[in-house]
Amino acid sequence: MNSRDGMQIVISGLGVVTPIGASVEEFWASNLTGRSGIRTEDRMDLSELPCGWMAGLIPEPDKEAVRARWGADGRSWGDCLLHAAVDQAVSDARLGGAPDGPAGLVWARVWPGPSGSEPADYVRHFADLAGRYQALGDDPVAVARYLHDKPLPLETVDLSRFPSELAETLGMPLIATRLEATCAGGLRAIAEAARLLRSGKVGMAIVAASVSRNTPYVLSQYGQLMALSRWTGPAAQASMPFDRRRSGMVINESAGALVLETAAHAASRGLAQVYGRVAGWGLAVGTDHMTAPNVSAVERVMRTALDQAGLQPGSVDTVNAHGTSTKLNDVTEARAMRRLFGERMADLPVCAVKSLTGHGSAASGVVETAVAALTMCSGIVPPVVTCTEPDPACGVNISLTPVEMPVRRVLKNSFGFGGQYASMVFERADNPRIIPPVAMTGA
Amino acid sequence: MNERIALTGTGVLTAAGAGAGPLFEVMAAGQTLLGTWPGRSGKPLPWPTSLIDPGQAPWPSGPPWNSVRKYANPTAHIAVSTALQAVAAAGLAGDFDALRGGIVMAVSSSGGDELSDLMPRLAVAAQTDARSLPRFLYDEVPDYSYIRGIPSQLGQFAAMASGFSGSNVAVYGEAGAGGLGALALAHRLIGSGELDAVLVIGVAGQLSVSNLAALDQQDGLAEKALPGCGPFDAGRAGVLAGQGAAALMVERESTARSRGADIAAFVDSCEVLAAATRRQALDLAVGTALGSMPAPAGLWWASACGSVPADLEEYEVVSRHLTVQATSSKGTIGTAFEASALIDIALSAQALARQETPPVGLLAVPDTQMTDLDAVTGGCRPADGLAGVLVTALSHGDSSGAAGAAGISKGTGA
Repeated sequence: MNSRDGMQIVISGLGVVTPIGASVEEFWASNLTGRSGIRTEDRMDLSELPCGWMAGLIPEPDKEAVRARWGADGRSWGDCLLHAAVDQAVSDARLGGAPDGPAGLVWARVWPGPSGSEPADYVRHFADLAGRYQALGDDPVAVARYLHDKPLPLETVDLSRFPSELAETLGMPLIATRLEATCAGGLRAIAEAARLLRSGKVGMAIVAASVSRNTPYVLSQYGQLMALSRWTGPAAQASMPFDRRRSGMVINESAGALVLETAAHAASRGLAQVYGRVAGWGLAVGTDHMTAPNVSAVERVMRTALDQAGLQPGSVDTVNAHGTSTKLNDVTEARAMRRLFGERMADLPVCAVKSLTGHGSAASGVVETAVAALTMCSGIVPPVVTCTEPDPACGVNISLTPVEMPVRRVLKNSFGFGGQYASMVFERADNPRIIPPVAMTGA
Repeated sequence: MNERIALTGTGVLTAAGAGAGPLFEVMAAGQTLLGTWPGRSGKPLPWPTSLIDPGQAPWPSGPPWNSVRKYANPTAHIAVSTALQAVAAAGLAGDFDALRGGIVMAVSSSGGDELSDLMPRLAVAAQTDARSLPRFLYDEVPDYSYIRGIPSQLGQFAAMASGFSGSNVAVYGEAGAGGLGALALAHRLIGSGELDAVLVIGVAGQLSVSNLAALDQQDGLAEKALPGCGPFDAGRAGVLAGQGAAALMVERESTARSRGADIAAFVDSCEVLAAATRRQALDLAVGTALGSMPAPAGLWWASACGSVPADLEEYEVVSRHLTVQATSSKGTIGTAFEASALIDIALSAQALARQETPPVGLLAVPDTQMTDLDAVTGGCRPADGLAGVLVTALSHGDSSGAAGAAGISKGTGA
């Protein structure tokens, strides 16, 4: 069954907290003007690592605003980010009124390790571990007694009050699922929410994802995998998807949220304009390699997404790429796109949001879907300003300036460790949201 | 799609060994596998636990398993072993369309567990090391330990074990209420027509001191596992915890029938809800589950794990919906967190097939506040005509509001 035969799922609300904006308006303006959120990670000494010296960090004033509004005892920073993004999306969707039954919640919060999200959190955790071991050794009884009355970081067992708190805020129970699908987790969450909506159990579903894990531990481990950028030039250039000089990804902290509804649900509450439709998706697991992407698997999920949407490759107007800036991912994604689009590749605009934000794992799929939605509504494909020396081996059509064109359909990709592949097709709404124009200065 | 979802194969790994049958027999005998066992340091943990024998989870030999073993931690070994059991029990042949099968894991990150013994030593060494902390960790933390702990990595191994390539996703942590969140997701994957079969695997493979201490702060862990400390007992004094894993092969009924598979049970409904309170969530989940069952539930397989408030809360909610005989596996093996409800579903299928209910381990005197509770004690109780089981699961954590319920009905055989 493709989406044309079934229930239509619309995107009615967006929310983001990212290195390039803590509101949808600011975030979209940054996308169009090419304002980077990547800077040197100077909160810890990374000089001895072979890679990963840059990070996409949420500006401190935006963090402070999130902390002031959403910080609470017993609430992790990751949950604060989730609340902030969801609050924007719920407000944007103009949700309100009497609850009409359970809603859906599909969410992801990337585990930052056992310590908390900030570099200082891990330093403190590590020092505490040392002191504990020196005093008590590895006697479990003594350690348990020591830990008994000591407040432990929420991240130790990664529990969360977020679903319950949101249920209370919205005044309705939630069919809630916390997902993990590595860097494909955001698109995967959207697919699960759409499937839940199509099951008829709920009329509205919230998708949310957050990540904040720039600690010495996490960076050292991604460093072991040599997955991070080795760029030593200006920080804003460190993430350069499809550029021949690309050398790895830049980890970021970010959060995104979407409100999805059945078209009937949106209409029933008088919502005339929405951002677009979730038309189809393709999901797969590859087993041929633990970390490296596979061209055929990427091609397969893109074709499945189009099939489910009842569309042909020729009907795609632009691709919102996974585009991580690693050597292997970008060329693999490009080769798969070439298999799918053939000669159209030369003219098919491709955007890569991570060029400005860095990579937010599961949050990226949600944040970048917001870009896909805004692209359809505005008829503007964001530039990839860091791709100044396009890699001929990739051969994708990248623009250094925004491309104005009618955009009816966007194909969006996300892939991840663990053999994760996801692709999704979004369609322009019949009556799309009006997006205020962005002053094209400041790039 | 109104087709039923069939359970065609199970894999279970607990302190009772491999399979749901051996665990059912231990329960039937009124035994407990909880005790004070040495942790990985060789010294006993301060809480009673039940432990999986690592020898029961050998890593498969030969290609492609040899080359990927470096990416597998002990939790992965358990997941693969359990998955292979379920695949074999389901009798899936090589001609199954791989793209129509998927994996749903119920698991939390296991990377911290793997390193829990090593990191304190490294932390001491780092105090006098000249290297920066990131570089020190880069050099000293064993290669691949980070990705070994990723749930998706376990799912990828499960995909190898099953041959399924259509989907891989994990329902993460205790928000999934003992694995029911994963089963609910699988239910929708099949119900939507997207897949024909899903292997759902829950694993609680490692019990580190720090994780247990954190849970002790949240819920209060039991300090002893003696008769009178079990689920629903008047003298219960805390959560009983243990290792465990389960894999359930669920299929569209027509798919199972077309290949002549034995249908051990049907999963008629399964959902996890979050609400302002866990009580509200459980009430909704139970009502939904019971409303979807074709025959009345004659057995309640409870989440009950020895927690003073949670067992009472669960009883109060469920007793509003039905009064039937009740049992729990937690007095035998403890809660296996993300895997516990999936283990209970495998045991429920056993009860439906055997038409008898095993007793609640360590239950001596039922809590007098639970006036209508009909908990099975002593030995197995006949359950002639048993056609349906209500399985409930509560998430852990003092403020968690997530709970789930599943309606399991008797299978029809081949």
